[in-house]
Amino acid sequence: MMRILYVLYGMAVLIGLSVAEYQGWSLARISEVKNVPRSVRDNPGSYRSVYSSYHHYSGGK
Amino acid sequence: MSTGAPTPPGKPQAHALNCPGCGAALTVRSFNNAVTVVCDSCHSILDAKDPNFQILQQFKAATGKDRPLIPLGTRGRIRGTDYEVIGFERRTIHVEGVSYSWHEHLLFNPYKGFRYLTEYDGHWNDCSTLKALPEIVSFSSPPKVKYLGETYKHFQTAKASTSFVLGEFPWQVRVGESVEVSDYVSPPRVLSSEQTGNEVVWSMGEYMLGKDVWKAFRLPGSPPVAVGVYENQPSPMSGEAKSIWLTFAFFLLALVILMIGFDLAASKEQVFTGYYKFDSNKRGEASFVTDDFEVKGHASNVELTTSTDLNNRWIYLNYALINEATGQAFDFGREVSYYHGYDSDGSWSEGSANDTVAVPKVAPGRYYLRVEPEGDVANGTTYYTITIKRDVPQYSFYGIALGALLLPAIVFSWRALSFEHLRWAESDHPMVTSGDDE
Repeated sequence: MMRILYVLYGMAVLIGLSVAEYQGWSLARISEVKNVPRSVRDNPGSYRSVYSSYHHYSGGK
Repeated sequence: MSTGAPTPPGKPQAHALNCPGCGAALTVRSFNNAVTVVCDSCHSILDAKDPNFQILQQFKAATGKDRPLIPLGTRGRIRGTDYEVIGFERRTIHVEGVSYSWHEHLLFNPYKGFRYLTEYDGHWNDCSTLKALPEIVSFSSPPKVKYLGETYKHFQTAKASTSFVLGEFPWQVRVGESVEVSDYVSPPRVLSSEQTGNEVVWSMGEYMLGKDVWKAFRLPGSPPVAVGVYENQPSPMSGEAKSIWLTFAFFLLALVILMIGFDLAASKEQVFTGYYKFDSNKRGEASFVTDDFEVKGHASNVELTTSTDLNNRWIYLNYALINEATGQAFDFGREVSYYHGYDSDGSWSEGSANDTVAVPKVAPGRYYLRVEPEGDVANGTTYYTITIKRDVPQYSFYGIALGALLLPAIVFSWRALSFEHLRWAESDHPMVTSGDDE
């Protein structure tokens, strides 16, 4: 019984992996923004990035 | 336990007699096979071979204190043969000052002879005497014996004494008599040797569920709940643990095949590359857009790699991959930092001068990239290259899939091991010694 459940689970994992690979999923944090105005092409400063106010790394050890 | 071959009766019938001690009626069910009979009323052990039922021993026991779970005289079917319960005894061992008792129900069939149903804490065993001796495996630790090609591992040796008897027995039973009992297990079977002086009797038991015993004897109610793990109780996981690992091996193979397949099938096509410079001292608008480029094929990931000349510095890049036609953008920020040095612990380094990120499910079309670099004024000038490829295999998924496949197999094995740990905890060979518990 456990083996059957494991086979089904494992197949689901492999199918999920295949879908993720084929469709090109990513683990990165990426935001989708819709309807970015065409004017950004000529005036890049007019676009406000989602991540522009993030705290940035400021030094090593 | 000790049995001989039964004497087949002429016509099956129980003999009704009276106890010479108290006059209570006695019933002898095994005909001429009974050697001793126990009076239920006065607890006299009587010589069944003596026409006058000479009293061999009397013992004290509270009436009703320890009744058979299957009443004497009950008939049931075990392995396709009808048996009647004719005797009952309680036997006790003492280990490290603790008494452990189990019950033995003696079963009789006039043509098949005797067998036993033993019960301990709700765990049952169907036992019968062996007709051949097991072979002792030399130089094995813990000791092992072989019987009919199966190897049995020593579980426990203890002095067992008979502490209560009822019914009739085909041997000279006495309360207080003791034997050395050694159990060897190979679940679901157990081999038991009982040694008295030079005489050794071997028997084999096979684990039975209480509900099966109840069904076999058509007993009312439900059997006592089994407590803990018994010495020869079959592990619900033992057979499946191997098959789960075998299945895991197949999945691992499938995973490798998928990885090779997707790697070969992935286009990994470079769709854009650009070389840039960022001067953090320079004031004014730092953001810019790249030339447009085409992403072809089916919707797939797009991998953006930033390669820099950073050296004990950092840069933060706000990226927006924008579809020219639809205005849809993938917005993300990437911090690239690389620090290194030398201190009392030796050399150290943190981060990397390069960074790679995958943008998911990018539909085909024409795109451009908006880039907005940020950095400390003290950082000075940073040179960096942006490279974009489409349809690139993401190996991190294979790591996640491997973990997901491995986890149930490990949990299952751990549960199987826990079961065995519980089994052997009560043996002479526990898997964890008392010193490890401290």
